[in-house]
Amino acid sequence: MTGPPRPGNELDALLRAVARGDSAAFAAVYDLTASRVYGLVVRVLRDPGYSEETTQEVYLEVWRTAGQYDSGKGSALAWLLTMAHRRAVDRVRAEEAGSRRESRYGAASAEPACDVVAESAIAGEERRRVGECMGTLTDAQRQCIQLAYYDGLTYSEVSQRLNANLSTIKSRMRDALRNLRNCLDVP
Amino acid sequence: MTEPTESELLDLAVPYALYAVSAGERADIERRAAGAPRDLAAAFEEQVRAVRETMAAASSATAVEPPAQLRTATLAAARFRGKRQLGWRTAALVSAAAALLVGAVAFGVGLLMRPHPPAAVAAQVLAAPDVRTVSRPLANGTATVVFSRDRNAGVLVMNNVPPPAPGTVYQMWLLGAKGPTSAGTMGAAAVAPSTTATLNDLGSSNALAFTVEPGTGSPRPTGTILAELPLS
Repeated sequence: MTGPPRPGNELDALLRAVARGDSAAFAAVYDLTASRVYGLVVRVLRDPGYSEETTQEVYLEVWRTAGQYDSGKGSALAWLLTMAHRRAVDRVRAEEAGSRRESRYGAASAEPACDVVAESAIAGEERRRVGECMGTLTDAQRQCIQLAYYDGLTYSEVSQRLNANLSTIKSRMRDALRNLRNCLDVP
Repeated sequence: MTEPTESELLDLAVPYALYAVSAGERADIERRAAGAPRDLAAAFEEQVRAVRETMAAASSATAVEPPAQLRTATLAAARFRGKRQLGWRTAALVSAAAALLVGAVAFGVGLLMRPHPPAAVAAQVLAAPDVRTVSRPLANGTATVVFSRDRNAGVLVMNNVPPPAPGTVYQMWLLGAKGPTSAGTMGAAAVAPSTTATLNDLGSSNALAFTVEPGTGSPRPTGTILAELPLS
């Protein structure tokens, strides 16, 4: 495999060490996950400066709350990225609580709906595989993921934006995630 | 009305797990999941888990290497903690402040320097759930504020900011609806080993601004604003 190393169960053990105040373990957690965390935050915020601030806040939260991570409820990577995504989306929603929101959505809509696929083709086996799986979704499903996950819209906002009713949007999201999960072989 | 509520809760598992619900809906969903029968709650949890694992797997597609200085700043926090026998929260705070200080050129922090170290305030700020960080260029360096609205306080860290010209000071202002309020000055003379300062009362201010002022400072800003850090 030529892609970036995929952090696995070792993250669980590292987080337990971080919870005990082990700074070397903290460094290892950072090194294993920073490109994924920063990349996701940049994808949502689209601003390197804000993204650095938010990424640092995410790791401060990891440092503070590593003891709360429960491996029985999911992987360490999912725990960390959920935290990163939440902070990035909170920031987007706070920044754009005013009129700027509309213009940003306008800009986002000008992008091709399949930019997830295009960007993922850059490098790496794993990256390529995610791109292929995104490619198996319908355009409508992919658009839902783009708007709801990467642009930080709520599903009600997605439904208004696409002029589709709420149950249609919820179905698309559910189908998109099921297809993606199956394709990526996520347990 | 158990049936529709049940299917509705499961229906919302994916939007909830994608964080694609409003704050109000999120609280409502969490309340309903907490009060749901065990089987339903387990099914909801499992769907949420699967979505989060799937998006974590998909994160390889958006991975981007962050700038090296972000690693330096973030990791210094952990290193610093090992050197001091402090409480967890205090250590985390102090270490974070230390992280921001890496590479700092010390110059005096005048009126803002408290007789006691800012660790207590800093600890409260960094441990606050709503902690935020804002950085802006100032002169040739960077001014960073780590602050918490909940704690009504912040920690200011200056990195590589050159001293003000002789006979002048940097003056900090909290900007709010009532106009600028002085938050202290920093002069070149009072050289200190650290350039952190605490902001003990953010009040209703929405930004921290810097000007150069003559002498030991002014009651109102007279210079142009060199940097403005939003506190919202």
